[in-house]
Parts: sequence; C-alpha cells; structure tokens
Amino acid sequence: MLTLFQPFRLKEISKDLGSAPGMKLLDGNSESNIKRLSLLKTSIAFLIFFSLVLSPSYAQQDAWSYTDDEQHPGKQETLDAEDWAEIMDSPPSAEDYDPFESFNRFIFGLNEFIDMILIDPLSRMYHDLVPEFGRERVGYALRNLSEPVVFANNILQGDLEGARVTLGRFVVNSTLGLAGLFDVSTDLDLPYKKEDFGLTLASWGVEAGPYLVLPILGPSNARDAWGRAGDYAMDPINWWSYHYKKGFYSYIRTGVQVLDAKTENLELMEELKDNSIDYYATLRAWYYERRKDLMHEKEEREALDTPRPDDDDE
Amino acid sequence: MLKKLLFIGVVLLAGLHGTMATVEGEKAEIFMTDIGNKVINLLTDKSISQQERASQFQHILETKFDVRAIGKFVLGRYWKHASKEEKEKFLALFKASTVASYATRFSEYSSEKFEVVGSRTEKDGGVTVLTRIVRPNGQAILIDWKIFEKKGELRIYDVILEGISMSITQRSEYAAVIQQGGGKVQALITALEKKTGKPIS
Repeated sequence: MLTLFQPFRLKEISKDLGSAPGMKLLDGNSESNIKRLSLLKTSIAFLIFFSLVLSPSYAQQDAWSYTDDEQHPGKQETLDAEDWAEIMDSPPSAEDYDPFESFNRFIFGLNEFIDMILIDPLSRMYHDLVPEFGRERVGYALRNLSEPVVFANNILQGDLEGARVTLGRFVVNSTLGLAGLFDVSTDLDLPYKKEDFGLTLASWGVEAGPYLVLPILGPSNARDAWGRAGDYAMDPINWWSYHYKKGFYSYIRTGVQVLDAKTENLELMEELKDNSIDYYATLRAWYYERRKDLMHEKEEREALDTPRPDDDDE
Repeated sequence: MLKKLLFIGVVLLAGLHGTMATVEGEKAEIFMTDIGNKVINLLTDKSISQQERASQFQHILETKFDVRAIGKFVLGRYWKHASKEEKEKFLALFKASTVASYATRFSEYSSEKFEVVGSRTEKDGGVTVLTRIVRPNGQAILIDWKIFEKKGELRIYDVILEGISMSITQRSEYAAVIQQGGGKVQALITALEKKTGKPIS
C-alpha cells in the first residue's frame, strides 16, 4: 500500500532520535529533550495560531490566485470585462493557496538539507541492512500500533462502520497477525483506511487553511498541523511511555516510523524529484490532492476537473 | 456542431439504456488491457535498445492519449495567454518530458503485473478504468485511467495514481513555474528545455 504521506505524518520528533540508545548525535538526557520537545511544540503551535489568525480570509481565497500573477509587484492593473470573464471561466486553484510561500520554501529547503545529511543516509542503511521481509514486518507492526488513533478518529467522525473495521483489524492483527507483524485483516475484507485528526477536523467542516511546510514534519496545512498535535495527544502509546517514564520507547517507535516510512517511499520520492521542475510545488499539489482523496471528496470533483476532449482550437 | 449533437445523443441514450453504458465500460477495459499488454511487452523485451523503447512509448503516447488536450489542461489559465508558437513549443516539450519521465519509471520494471480491476462511467460522459499494478512482493498500486471517446476512438485523458490526478498536480506545478518566471509561459518552456535537454528552435 502506497503510504505516500506517512513520512510527513510520522516524521514526528525525530531530533529525539538523539536519545535513542546508540545515537550520539544529540547530547542530553531525556529530560532536556522533553524540554526541547515542549519548546518545539510551543513554537509550532504559535506558528499555526499565527497563520490561522493572520492569514487572508477564506472569502478572498479566489481573489488571491488572480490579482497577483502576471503583474509586477506594487503595480495596479485594472481588469476589464474580458479578463474577468476569463478568470471566472477557469476555477480557482485551491491547491495553490500558499500565502506563506517564501517562508515555506525556506523551511522546505531546510528539510531537504536535514534529509540529505541525516534521514536519507539512515534510511539507505536500513534498506541495505534489513531484508524486505523484515522491513515489511516492521511496517505492519507500526501500522497496527497506530490503529487505536485511527479508531479514535473514526469515532470522532461518527463513522461507526469505519470504527468497526479498525477495531476488527486491531484485534485480528494483534492476535492472528502476531502482534501486528502480519496484516491478515486485509485478506479478511477489513482493509486499512488511514484516519487522522486532520481528516476528522475536515469532516467537521474545518477548512484546510494555508499550505504550511513544517520543520522536519514536511508538507501540511493549518488544519492538518493541529491534526498532528491532536493525534500525538491521543496516542495511547505516548500516554503509556510518558506515564511509566519510559519516554524512550516512544522515541524509538517514532524513529523507526520515520525510517520505515522514508525507506518505503525512497524510490517514489526520488523519481518525483527527478521528474519535476519545481519539487516544492509538486509536493504541495500532491499533498493537497492526497488529503482530498482521503476525505472522499473526489467523486464530486473528478467530474468537473479533468482534461477532456474539445474541438481543436488554436 | 453535428458531432456534438450526436455525442450528446449517445450520452443521453446511454443514460436511458444502462446496457449501453456498460458496453462503453467494457470497451474501455479492453482498451486498457490492450495497452497494458503492449507496455509490458515493451518492457520485458530486452532485445530492443533504450532509444527504440523510448520511441515506442512516444508512439503509444501519441496514439492512445490525447496529448494536446492534456497539455492544454495542464497549462491551465495560461493557455489563452500563450502565442501559437509558444503553444506548439510547449506541447512538443510536454510530450518529450512525459515520455522521459515514464521511461525512467519503467526502467525499474521487473515482473510487475498489470490488472484491470473494473470501470466506472462518469457524469461527464467519460469512463474511468480502474487498474492495479501488483509488485512481486504482493503490494498493489492503484491507477485509474480517465478515458473519453474522440473521433470514434478511445483516448486517455488523465492518469490517477492512488487517488492523485497527474494532470491536476502537474498543472499546479507548471503554474508555479510560470508564476516564478514572472507570469510568462516562456519561463516554463525554458525550464522544460533544460529538463529534457532538448532545445526546440
């Protein structure tokens, strides 16, 4: 199953890889890392709050795409009737709503750098040292551990059928599937359907908001960023490890999630990068489309927005 | 005009007679199975050169897809602003870059299976054929193909990978490139030339 955006969802607090045994990349005991962790969470929360409060109102979302392009900054150009007709003709590209683009591009560059010096080499090592069979087991086990959060989101969305399936998956995979190592549920007609708090918020009618590239975490938007925070808070594994002061189990799991997600998608991401002119814009579009797909809105959109035959024109 | 009326007539009839729509779906499924087999043969044939393979891909692209319509869509609102020359240049480069990107994707091919899973008639008169590529390790990638009939033959208008439309994402990317280049289509043409290594004079 192509879990394209697992890396972005699960690249949680990977700097805390430093406290996992054997890693001497970051100094400090888990206490100071917890402090750093809360500082990071606070700054992310501030950033998101800032973007929600101060971003252009959604009513202006349409206007944004059109008044800026093809104009020199600072120069006002009046649009005549023909221009307006043309603008109204083509639907606004909501997937391009990115008022913080220059800042996002900066963070994006930063993430690429961290990727290059840290995540990428680690994931290649993982890929080379652990055989496919082993990596698959790890992937499935991790996914099983995330089912409780999926379940919580199913309930919050009022999706009882989904909740039933998720519960079934968790029970079957944990027992028959040997603690989640094997995904037997899919063959029993209980397919995996990812749910997270960002999607739950979407189901409650919360708009996506401006596109955001989060440090380390990658592509997101204002709503989904809150979603990640929500998921992190809802995760029973995190409760357990914080309660029993075994913080580093949580970190290890996160670290392995990062590795697993990154390694699984290594080829795809590389190929995407090589084939795109503007990798930032490509990922932005992919993220938007991926979220739309997970929200089931595609059926309505599909009929309106694809290439189709028309009379040959000039 | 007459063609349009005929087309509308067919679509209406398809609505009245469910079976007609099913036939459309079946036709499209056969169409895709056919293409799938062609491509797999192309990939597994180790005797032909990389050049030959690329040129055969191009042939498939030209005959089974509607490159002009896709290119026009992908250029989005900038199509109307482009001069005739820019349009032609862009379409040529778009074709070349598409062939190149699929060629690299397929170079890693190794005994994946291509299965047509089903089809779905859409409200806009097209048919979506659902297919699946099954990798040797058992994992499957879902790909949908949006097909319309044009001038009596079936053509592919969009490729949807795991729910993500390639045309829409590409349109978004190209729009960003054009915007970064000051709103000029030429900026995109230059970028594509660099990418494909093929200056079009």
